[in-house]
Amino acid sequence: MTARPAMTAAAADNRGSRFSASHMSAVAVIVVMAAWPGAIASSESFLLYVGTLVVLYSVGAMSLHLVFRMGQVSFAHAAFLGIGGYTSALLLTGSGLSWPLAFCASGLVSGLFGLLLGPIVLRLRGVYFVLFTFILCEFAERVFTDWGSLTNGAGGVAGIPAPPAFSSPVSFYYLCLGVAVLCALICRGVLKSDVGEAIDAIRTSESLAESNGVPVFRIKVAIFAISCLLVGFQGALQASFVHYISPASYTFDESLRFVVMNVIGGMNSLWGPVLGSVFIIALPELLRNWVEYQWVLYGVVLVLAMRYLPGGLYELGERASALLRKGGA
Amino acid sequence: MSRQVLVVSGLGKSFGALQAISDLHFHVEDGEIVGLIGPNGAGKTTAINLISGRLKPDTGMVRLEDKVVTGFSTNSLVQRGLVRTFQSTAVYPERSVWSNVLRGAFAEIYKGFWPALVNTGAQKRRRDAAIVHVETILDELGLQDVRDVPAQQLPYGRQKTLGLAIAIASRPRVILLDEPAAGLSAEEVDRVADVIRRINSRGVSVVVVDHNMRFISGLCRRVVVLHHGRELCTGKPAEIAANPQVIEAYLGTVNEPA
Repeated sequence: MTARPAMTAAAADNRGSRFSASHMSAVAVIVVMAAWPGAIASSESFLLYVGTLVVLYSVGAMSLHLVFRMGQVSFAHAAFLGIGGYTSALLLTGSGLSWPLAFCASGLVSGLFGLLLGPIVLRLRGVYFVLFTFILCEFAERVFTDWGSLTNGAGGVAGIPAPPAFSSPVSFYYLCLGVAVLCALICRGVLKSDVGEAIDAIRTSESLAESNGVPVFRIKVAIFAISCLLVGFQGALQASFVHYISPASYTFDESLRFVVMNVIGGMNSLWGPVLGSVFIIALPELLRNWVEYQWVLYGVVLVLAMRYLPGGLYELGERASALLRKGGA
Repeated sequence: MSRQVLVVSGLGKSFGALQAISDLHFHVEDGEIVGLIGPNGAGKTTAINLISGRLKPDTGMVRLEDKVVTGFSTNSLVQRGLVRTFQSTAVYPERSVWSNVLRGAFAEIYKGFWPALVNTGAQKRRRDAAIVHVETILDELGLQDVRDVPAQQLPYGRQKTLGLAIAIASRPRVILLDEPAAGLSAEEVDRVADVIRRINSRGVSVVVVDHNMRFISGLCRRVVVLHHGRELCTGKPAEIAANPQVIEAYLGTVNEPA
């Protein structure tokens, strides 16, 4: 994903078209995202707002992708988003901790909760795992609401500051983009490593993976914790973006949104959740001109995508590039 | 007498009121192929599951070389050199034959989460060594011609061979084969027997579970017969075949051709 200026075009060709195509798309996406504020800043602050949300949600969606790759669908991601959000919000408003420290703490606390809860939930498989993570999500929302002395209950926490160096909308957008790129690099690193190989084996067959010497349970817990850590960072950024959080920010709808982003974007590639977050966040916002049909159109597109693109939006890109190759040959 | 690489003593497991295995004793000597036979429901697969760490035994002990490994997890047993295969074909269907066998060597490559995650130099060296080893396995087991074929496209018999290739990729001392010949034609059975002999000649001790008596007697010099979760008798294949108790167990209870 990093640019390699020293590499000649010929060398790039030798590395296999698929690999370099993926690199090129990554660079293209980052360039577009980096140019986004410049292209729209003059007129449309609304589009910058949408762009920031897309980048923010791609962090959580990519982190959930790691859990998806193990063959498990977690509906608890809103809980960990909330843990990250509350950690940074309370530290920033209560103790006046500096923003970078509060940011790091939010990821670490969320990751720690993942490490503690992972061993419990990951003993369950299939639909039981789904149900239990759903309960976890609801439970977390109740805790955020009822533990008033800490979280200020349903009233939420207001006045959450943005980092001083990134207080303008454009600079904050770049901060989020930087975190998202870092998150993408981490997820990609995990998936390309031998741990990624183990994850893939676990998805195919846990018992076969175990008998090949994969410590299935440990790896599942570790990946779950990493996933929670990353979504915790999104929680911190989002709290500073909106300047306000409440239990209503972390409902089951949020969990569902992360899951749908992965399903609609595609579950076989890290591009899936990125495409999914563009689609799921930007589409309803861009349909606001037809506000009375907004959710109807959204629903129709969602159903069509699921019906005709079981591999997600990523598959659309794959098909298009296959067509192009055919045409070119 | 040669060294005992695997010793099972007093092994027992019950599921509720059902005593699946009770007081099971047997051992495997270094370089030996031992058959474990018995009619359906005798507890053969349960025995494999208990020894390989998939199930925890209620009583008894498993010793691998000099170490008591009772109740160890499957993956830590693989790290220590005890590997099992499954009754149904167990391969990664979408992966090529080559990468299936490399996955079998995972225990050789993976020595901790962080080295694997950050891909340290030692991790790379271990992977390179495993890749070299995969080539020799493909050669020996005759899988070179299909090395790039997805496992799901192989005929059933060759998938079974691939299962064996995966099992030996981690350089085990002992492998437990759960019905490696089930569902194969007579010709394929002979081929699998040949592969097992070749694996054995690499110095791997083998426990074969099956109820195909012809297959077992061609392969093993010593056979343990299980019945109702207990050891009925142990002996040479010819002795076993002539043993009235064994004949009764097979023909008296279930109509299972021996």
